[in-house]
Amino acid sequence: MKNQANPWLTSNLLVLGLGMLPAALLIAALLYFTAWAFAFSFTDLALVGTKAVDWSWVGFQNFERLFTRRGFLESLWTTVIFVFFSALVGQSVLGFLLAATLRGTASRLKSVIEVCIMLGWLLPDIVAAFLWSATTSQTGLINAIFVRPFGLPPINFINDYALPIVIIANIWKGTAWSYLLFSAALDSVSREVVEAAKVDGATPFQRIWLVQLPIIRPHIATNMLFITIWTFTYFPLIYAMTGGGPGRQTETLAVFLYNQSFARGNLGFGSAISVAMLVIVGLLSLVYLRMLREPK
Amino acid sequence: MADVSLRGVRKSYGSLEVVHGVDLDIKSGEFVVFVGPSGCGKSTLLRMIAGLEPISGGEISIEGRVVNDIPSPQRGISMVFQSYALYPHMSVYENMAFGLKLAKTPKAEVDQRVREAARILQIEDYLDRMPKALSGGQRQRVAIGRAIVRNPKVFLFDEPLSNLDASLRAQTRIEIAKLHDTLDATMIYVTHDQVEAMTLADRIVVLNAGRIEQVGSPLELYRNPINTFVAGFIASQRMNFLPVTVEGDRLVLPGGKSVASNHPQRGNARTLGIRPEHLVLATPETAQFSGTLSVIEQFGEYALAYVEMPNGDLMTVKLDGAPDLELHQAIHVGLPRDHIHLFDEAGRALR
Repeated sequence: MKNQANPWLTSNLLVLGLGMLPAALLIAALLYFTAWAFAFSFTDLALVGTKAVDWSWVGFQNFERLFTRRGFLESLWTTVIFVFFSALVGQSVLGFLLAATLRGTASRLKSVIEVCIMLGWLLPDIVAAFLWSATTSQTGLINAIFVRPFGLPPINFINDYALPIVIIANIWKGTAWSYLLFSAALDSVSREVVEAAKVDGATPFQRIWLVQLPIIRPHIATNMLFITIWTFTYFPLIYAMTGGGPGRQTETLAVFLYNQSFARGNLGFGSAISVAMLVIVGLLSLVYLRMLREPK
Repeated sequence: MADVSLRGVRKSYGSLEVVHGVDLDIKSGEFVVFVGPSGCGKSTLLRMIAGLEPISGGEISIEGRVVNDIPSPQRGISMVFQSYALYPHMSVYENMAFGLKLAKTPKAEVDQRVREAARILQIEDYLDRMPKALSGGQRQRVAIGRAIVRNPKVFLFDEPLSNLDASLRAQTRIEIAKLHDTLDATMIYVTHDQVEAMTLADRIVVLNAGRIEQVGSPLELYRNPINTFVAGFIASQRMNFLPVTVEGDRLVLPGGKSVASNHPQRGNARTLGIRPEHLVLATPETAQFSGTLSVIEQFGEYALAYVEMPNGDLMTVKLDGAPDLELHQAIHVGLPRDHIHLFDEAGRALR
């Protein structure tokens, strides 16, 4: 690519340096914190107490604890379920279905649905968490409408079905992103290509499955990459709804990390968890980046 | 091969009607070109025949069967799109085989038909390539190939050459003409390019603002345009129009000179039309009008001289060879009376 920067900028080193300063500071800060977490994952640093000042190197002990103690593997499994159902199945599929069906319809219904989807996205996590807790609790709206009128005993959904409720809440919260991305992707598919498929005899389902989906495959991979990373590290909604409970039923890695680092004060172990999360997300990203490549 | 007939076909979007009752009969094996300026409804009409656009009124039938409510694939048509509309994720072979596979055609037959079409279009070497690895001309052939393999009764072309460069366009035009000869199929072709219309069509349908202005063979339209619109639209260089007044058997031109006419209806003439290629250079005495040369375009085999009249109008004169003319020199032009077209107040040709 040709360098099209302003010659005044490129010829003046001082200006160039000043212009780069914010970016350089940002990169330095990112590297510093990553290095910090990485370094302290090999220590027994604690938040409070003597270990907060008088910490020592413990080698790979923290990483061994990831696999030998209860907690990490269970949380990893919870996170996998949470990501798979709320992000990949829920947000992606629902977002695509909405984008595909609402596409081309300029009705009032479309605007209403779009506003509803966007509302979930725009609402602060804590407000959303409160809404969902209130709605699904023993005295909540769902019980008031669907359970009590039929003379059944009220069900404490948020307690009895904690993980599914958290997953549904996250689908509701995050579908807007997938919907917007897929809408834009489908708009980029040439109208004539879809019409050609129609003339060729493809049913509406075949037009989506055999023509539109393969064409927007790179967009699907991009979307998967984003929402997987976001959901994998997503913290506020779950923590505010359940705090990881009941028991450890909804303790995803992000919640586990928080509980270990700040509730129990094991900063060293917490750092090891975050390094492990970084590695897992990095590996997942590699898989998606391969999907992004154009087929031969 | 099939007859296509349109009866009072209308199209409206809400309260806006864009095609106002079109009647047309297309014979089996005929090459018909819809031509007209942008927004005249030619593409809409084609898309209604294709089944891509619902019909608001009237009836379209193919091979005697009303197809208004029959979906595209069952109409026996194939369409070639302006943007080629190849499936970008499929190879050339898969692009051409797609429709047949959807119709559950046996594999051996799919293969045979795709290879046959590829042979006709000379794209056998590219069958394994992806569309993005092809040039514009090659993509266009694949799009035509995709249309051929389905063995349609009617081919529909929607401005198929407008994305090609000039030389490729001329070449592909000839190939489409050959293809029509080879396949002997009914073809309906939409274009805004009157050269494509003149060279390809058995019959041209001139459309304007959602109505048919005139239907006829290219030479009929060239020789006897029904109104000033068709006269101005058909042929490479636009016809010149001059306001005239009638005095007995003479038509008086803007400069004051006149030309004799024995046309029985000359009394109604308000506009005189003459094609640039029919105007001739003359001496000041024999000329019907004079002006100054404002622009000259030399093409080598011929030249177009744009002559500015005293009233400011530009007249186009087509001259053979490479005439030696100076800019701003006086030009004297003669009007051969055999080539004069006369139009009445409403722009209708006087016959």
